[in-house]
Amino acid sequence: MTRTARAALLVGWVGVIALLGWYVQANLTISGDLRLFMPSPKTRNEKLLLDEIGESPASRLLLVALDGAPPESLAESSQAFADALRADSRFGLVSNGATSVDSIPESLLPYRYLLSPTLDGHMLDAPFLRDQLSERLEDLSSPAGSALEPLIPRDPTLEVLKLAEMWQPARQPQKLYDVWFDSQGKSAILVVATKAAAFDPDGQEQAATALRKHFEETRADPATQLTVSGPGAFSVLMKGKTQSEATWIGTFDTIGVIILLLIAYRSVSATVLGVLPIASAGVAGLTAVSAIYGSIHGITLGFGFTLLGVAQDYPMHLFSHQHPGKAPLETARSVWPTLATGVASTCIAYLAFLFSGVVGLAQLACFTISGLAMAGITTRYLLPRVMPMKSRDYGQVVWLDRVWATIVALPRPFWLGVVVVAGCVAVLMFGKTPMWESDLGRLTPVPQELLLQDAKLRKELGAADIRRLLVVDGATADEVLTRTEALDAKLRSLVESGDIGNFDHVARYLPSVAVQKRRQAALVGRDTLQIALVEALKGLPFKAGLFEPFLDDVATARDLPPLTPDKLAGTPLELRVGGMLVHQGERWSGLVTLGAVNNAAGLEKIAADSDGLITLLDLKQASEDLVARQRTHILWSLLGAALLLTITVFVALRSPARMLRVIAPMAITTLLILAVLHGIGISLNLFHLIALVLAAGLGIDYALFFESVENDALEQRRTLHAVLVCSLSTLWVFVLLAFSTIPVLRSIGITVSLGVVSNFVLALLLTRPAVQRVAHARA
Amino acid sequence: MLVAAALTPAISFAALDVDTLLKSLAHPAPATTPFVEVRYSRLLEQPIVVKGQLEYHEDGTLVRAVNEPFKERTEIKGDSVSVDRVGRAPRKFSLKRAPELRTMLGGFAAVLGGGRGNLDQDFNLAASGATEQWTLALTPKSAQVGKYVRDIAIQGTQNEPRCIVVTQPDDEASIMLVGAAADTKLPATIARDWLSTFCNSKG
Repeated sequence: MTRTARAALLVGWVGVIALLGWYVQANLTISGDLRLFMPSPKTRNEKLLLDEIGESPASRLLLVALDGAPPESLAESSQAFADALRADSRFGLVSNGATSVDSIPESLLPYRYLLSPTLDGHMLDAPFLRDQLSERLEDLSSPAGSALEPLIPRDPTLEVLKLAEMWQPARQPQKLYDVWFDSQGKSAILVVATKAAAFDPDGQEQAATALRKHFEETRADPATQLTVSGPGAFSVLMKGKTQSEATWIGTFDTIGVIILLLIAYRSVSATVLGVLPIASAGVAGLTAVSAIYGSIHGITLGFGFTLLGVAQDYPMHLFSHQHPGKAPLETARSVWPTLATGVASTCIAYLAFLFSGVVGLAQLACFTISGLAMAGITTRYLLPRVMPMKSRDYGQVVWLDRVWATIVALPRPFWLGVVVVAGCVAVLMFGKTPMWESDLGRLTPVPQELLLQDAKLRKELGAADIRRLLVVDGATADEVLTRTEALDAKLRSLVESGDIGNFDHVARYLPSVAVQKRRQAALVGRDTLQIALVEALKGLPFKAGLFEPFLDDVATARDLPPLTPDKLAGTPLELRVGGMLVHQGERWSGLVTLGAVNNAAGLEKIAADSDGLITLLDLKQASEDLVARQRTHILWSLLGAALLLTITVFVALRSPARMLRVIAPMAITTLLILAVLHGIGISLNLFHLIALVLAAGLGIDYALFFESVENDALEQRRTLHAVLVCSLSTLWVFVLLAFSTIPVLRSIGITVSLGVVSNFVLALLLTRPAVQRVAHARA
Repeated sequence: MLVAAALTPAISFAALDVDTLLKSLAHPAPATTPFVEVRYSRLLEQPIVVKGQLEYHEDGTLVRAVNEPFKERTEIKGDSVSVDRVGRAPRKFSLKRAPELRTMLGGFAAVLGGGRGNLDQDFNLAASGATEQWTLALTPKSAQVGKYVRDIAIQGTQNEPRCIVVTQPDDEASIMLVGAAADTKLPATIARDWLSTFCNSKG
């Protein structure tokens, strides 16, 4: 190939990468939905479970704690902060415990008589009104009475306050100075709903920025600290953290690998060219994922590039085997069978994830497989055509020779394999750690301490005991509401008997149409009410005609169409009701949350007597079942992949003995990693499986190259050079990853680093062919 | 008369300053005084009248106990307020959330505790009148408090306060008669003019 043709090809290659890269970058949307890495739900209950985690109004709630200042100052900050947030269009519901009259919008005000239970026990007759008006008089004479004064003409029975108090959560934190505080009285607690969905990282980021700004502007004491928790806060945090970690890890990776390449090949052009296949791989992976899935998950992006790091090895094999007197294309051709087997086997391992049923993993597999295939193909067909002809011969490098001699002199301790396997099996069998992580919550890459903090805040808010739910089924929302109302008395008796601590259900906030109509029917006509009012006002000093607005509202309420869920849009009730009344396909579900369940028998009886219309959902059980089923699925996929891999290696090597030599280090290493993790008390999750597959892919690569060494000392040294450079660069990348502060990245880093070392050592000891004599002769 | 005037020049007709006035009001704690509060509201034809007792304790706690026509106890300690009314759940809140109470506390503290304390922080103070018939006016400095309270006027004779008048921006008012004035027999219909005249009299 001429110099010009080579330059043209190089420019064309770089151009295509840049163009595709630009295109993908401009069109790719990055998703932050953590559920992509959770199992896909099958049953209705599992769908409910994941909705709870994902898009339900509840998932938009941010839990906010203010601390670091005296309680009174915190309470003051809490009030000012809540007022500022309520005025900000990025936030919906804002609760800080203060019973605020403003929480009921003007449009819903006349509905108060249909929503409040007052009319269930009383008529708006003269004795009741008299009693209420006397109480208002006492209110007015109290020092704090002036706050109520504006309400009284329109609402002399203070239904608005009754509703505001009733709509406070069933269990709520203690109140100090009118606002929620944690049980120690050290932090003021608020609940804030964002308008942005929990997994919309941009929307959540804007909300987080606004939240902080309002906090800084409203805090009464500069020492006050802000803590924000919840799915939305996590997605912002993870985005920021992943980006900053990716930056520093990426920088050190790049610097380290460039230095390594410069030392190994003493050539700037080789170092630069070596980047091209992996760059092609990245662009190909992104293009494939965006073409198939439309968007890419942030984790896929982060992990994907980590996993693609294996492709950095491909050009190294080519460079290390290149030597004067051999055209690069010819070197590529001779390395290709081994390289291709390696690429194919790694890709096959990732196939398991493609069929795992977890969208995030499938994306990851799609990204990695297309990337690795592209890296292999460009290393074989493009890279040799742009490589310079002249090169060192690593077969002639003296120190490599000495290393090789040392290696050759190594024993071949087959017994070691047996001992390691036996030891590992023993650890796995007798270890006390649970083998698998069954907690769905822990499948998220969110650091444990944040989850603990979140759990603590939720507990303070009384939202802790969400293990069990009663799910009320219905064809319409109103059917669910009616059934839920019928359930109320039974639940009350369970509270009285101490079987459950408390409960909350949607009908507390939105009564059924029937109940609203019943209360409506109890409202008397304007004239009748007027007469009762005149009677009640006898002898009381209220001004004449003062209660006209009250008469008007009652008259309006008599003719109102009942309030239904669709009319709640934009009101604070929307979130409350939306979180407990879920529309799924054709059916509606009402969720009854239960606190402090001491005895589930009563609840089970309710479900059993309901003809299947009410189910007792054990969220913990449902999530464990979900994870377990998912795990079985993935393990089967992995088993299939392992079989396929063995067949591939067998087809490539055409000898059971050679195949065994190649597979053994990888298999033993996998076992070893499992045993080490188990031994140090780590339960396995999906991310460990990804790391194990990555380590296995690397192991096969090393073993294949060690195994493929011909009885040629020069070739042996070239192979050794390649494998040394490859494993050092991989080790560097994953050791860095092991220093990540994100637990998942850290565990992947540790797992793969361990795998690289073990695979290398085992490949050396077990896979190395018997070629002592030739090597000695040459040396 | 001349001799008396010469011996007590500070308590003279002309030079009545805030500090002197506050000093003369200071009582050793605990101090207790009966009160009658007449509250006018734009919702009411007739003001509401409640009777009870104000207490000022050594630790600075202020108690407003209503005995008639119903029973209610408001306790203000530091910045925290608790309200207990028979038949209702007790409430606790911060004074910072109830500016109207905070200002009133300022007035009470001035009346019962004497001493300028941190009154200056929240109010512009002005004294007017003379020893036998004086007025101490407290005007809130903050606009936030101003939304609830236009001013507080404490009126009295010698070292005895008689009335605490809290006026809201909409001109509604609560007028509290304290000390000996609380024993005054009020007319059946209490006009504000009548009360103003009463508070401005020398008792």
